[in-house]
Amino acid sequence: MKNVIQISESNWHLFLREISHEMNVFVPVKEGVHIEYQLYNHENRQPVYNQPLPTSPLKLFFLPVRENVVISKNNPRKNLIIGAPACDIEGLRLLDEIYLDDRYPDLKYREKRDNTILIGTDCHEIRENCHCTTYGIDPYPVENVDATLVSLNGEMIITVRTSKGKELINRYGKNFPLSEPAKNLLEQADARRSSTREQLKHQNSSLPDYAATGVLVNKSGDEIWMKYARTCVSCGACATICSTCTCFLLIDRPGFEKVRQMDACQYPGFERIAAGEDPLHKRHLRFKNRYLCKYVWKSEKFKSQACTGCGRCIDCCIGDINKNRIFMEMLESS
Amino acid sequence: MSDILNIYKPLKATVEKVIIESPLIRSFVMIPEHEFSFKTGEFIELTINGYGEAPFTPSSSPLEKAKLEVTVMKAGYVTEKIHALKTGDIVGIRGPFGRGYPVEKFYGKEILILGGGCGFAPIRSLLFNLIADKDKLKKVILCYGAKTPEDCIYKPFVEELRKVEKFEIHRSVDKADGSWNEREGVVTILLDDVQVNIPDSVAIVCGPPVMMKYGTLKLLEMGYPEHDIYLSMEKNMSCGLGKCGHCMMGKYYVCKDGPVFTYDEIKDQPDIWV
Repeated sequence: MKNVIQISESNWHLFLREISHEMNVFVPVKEGVHIEYQLYNHENRQPVYNQPLPTSPLKLFFLPVRENVVISKNNPRKNLIIGAPACDIEGLRLLDEIYLDDRYPDLKYREKRDNTILIGTDCHEIRENCHCTTYGIDPYPVENVDATLVSLNGEMIITVRTSKGKELINRYGKNFPLSEPAKNLLEQADARRSSTREQLKHQNSSLPDYAATGVLVNKSGDEIWMKYARTCVSCGACATICSTCTCFLLIDRPGFEKVRQMDACQYPGFERIAAGEDPLHKRHLRFKNRYLCKYVWKSEKFKSQACTGCGRCIDCCIGDINKNRIFMEMLESS
Repeated sequence: MSDILNIYKPLKATVEKVIIESPLIRSFVMIPEHEFSFKTGEFIELTINGYGEAPFTPSSSPLEKAKLEVTVMKAGYVTEKIHALKTGDIVGIRGPFGRGYPVEKFYGKEILILGGGCGFAPIRSLLFNLIADKDKLKKVILCYGAKTPEDCIYKPFVEELRKVEKFEIHRSVDKADGSWNEREGVVTILLDDVQVNIPDSVAIVCGPPVMMKYGTLKLLEMGYPEHDIYLSMEKNMSCGLGKCGHCMMGKYYVCKDGPVFTYDEIKDQPDIWV
């Protein structure tokens, strides 16, 4: 089998239908203006490929909002996730560093990572707040993913990138006509990659890169954070929807069970100790904390970046806070 | 998923004995269902079934594998439940977590220990370790402070410690009464009484945040190098695994990278005394 194959879109969906008998197949589906991963069902609305951005970050497949981490299901069904954008796939690197560290590996997370086949897609469009290229991430995944997919002119081009991806195509693809991709389609795919990348660079031309943002945040005083935190209501949406924020609360349940529930440093009391001291008791300090964590502390501690430029935190903020405006203001006044 | 490897699943333990140390502080001797090892200064998460868990550094000897003791000050809703524990109750233990005291680095030196309030708990575990290793040490000076004589914990242990060769004990209380014949004042005044050869010494501080701050400043003033001051930090350590994020102190997860740090390591991190 070649590493790059072409299959018609109609056959691709028959292929997914066959897989869905044995695995949970998740595809991006558009509902109004939102794209969301849904279980593949041939009677459903058609999946959309190469469009940014699923509203839910990819992390939710591996770190659900709430999960009992002591009891386990026997032989859970495998997941095939299709349509993950490069920013989210890049975000998994940090999650892997945190949850699969040698000393304390999280078995639930590992089980889900092992049980998942991930097919990423190139982005052929950009959204208002997309800025992956500013942080050195191309809008098309090539690493840390089992296969990638591009949909062009009713044809799918699949690039297999790991043994898991290869096994999937070998096992389920034998009943379908798979061919080498047409040269003109590959050229079109490359052209779309360049075009999306250039659009992103143009859109964010004056935004500081990841390292420069870290320097700006590190030397910032409290005033700018107080100014921008005025409309923050500590709802935690920015952290909840972020592809790399993974802080959690461990909740006790009878039978010495524990539930790992998504948490956010924006909530009051996040760092409060039993005696009452709370370094983040002021809202602007919690607000600042998240950016120090993302751009300064995590980058000192981990190899992976803690922001991949997906822009969801800007999209979702009910206080109309745009972190990139903060960084631009810092840059202008530096 | 194997239970043995599940980092979130507590080991059950039976409360063997409850010791009332002071009006607000109690110690709990527990017998874990399996042998439990820890290094001094590492901590555990103590689970009250279905209710909550909280971090404590064991106050017992790390050489004891069959029993484990924690000393708990009633401060919040979990510690209130812990204080209600009785002999025979079942609790959960997760751990040990973090980085404890590098005892081997103390060999051949004078060890100055500054402790306050319930901060004596980790120190007592360290002292058990140092007693066992006393032939490898020059001397150990304990300076301990509490609010009142009634708040001084581990009274029988302190009396035993006074008899141990190479160990020197100094105590103070913020407010003395007629029964008190040791020093009166904040714990740092005890540092004026001690004879210590600083270049040949390390200092260890454990106590409430304000005491940690002023204790460290005084040690620096005395001439202790930043890398020879060991601090046992208190933060909201929840998962114990460097994952949940509640105990971040700048770039460090206190639960995993600490709780024992040298001042040199953390002096540039934010909110170290809060």
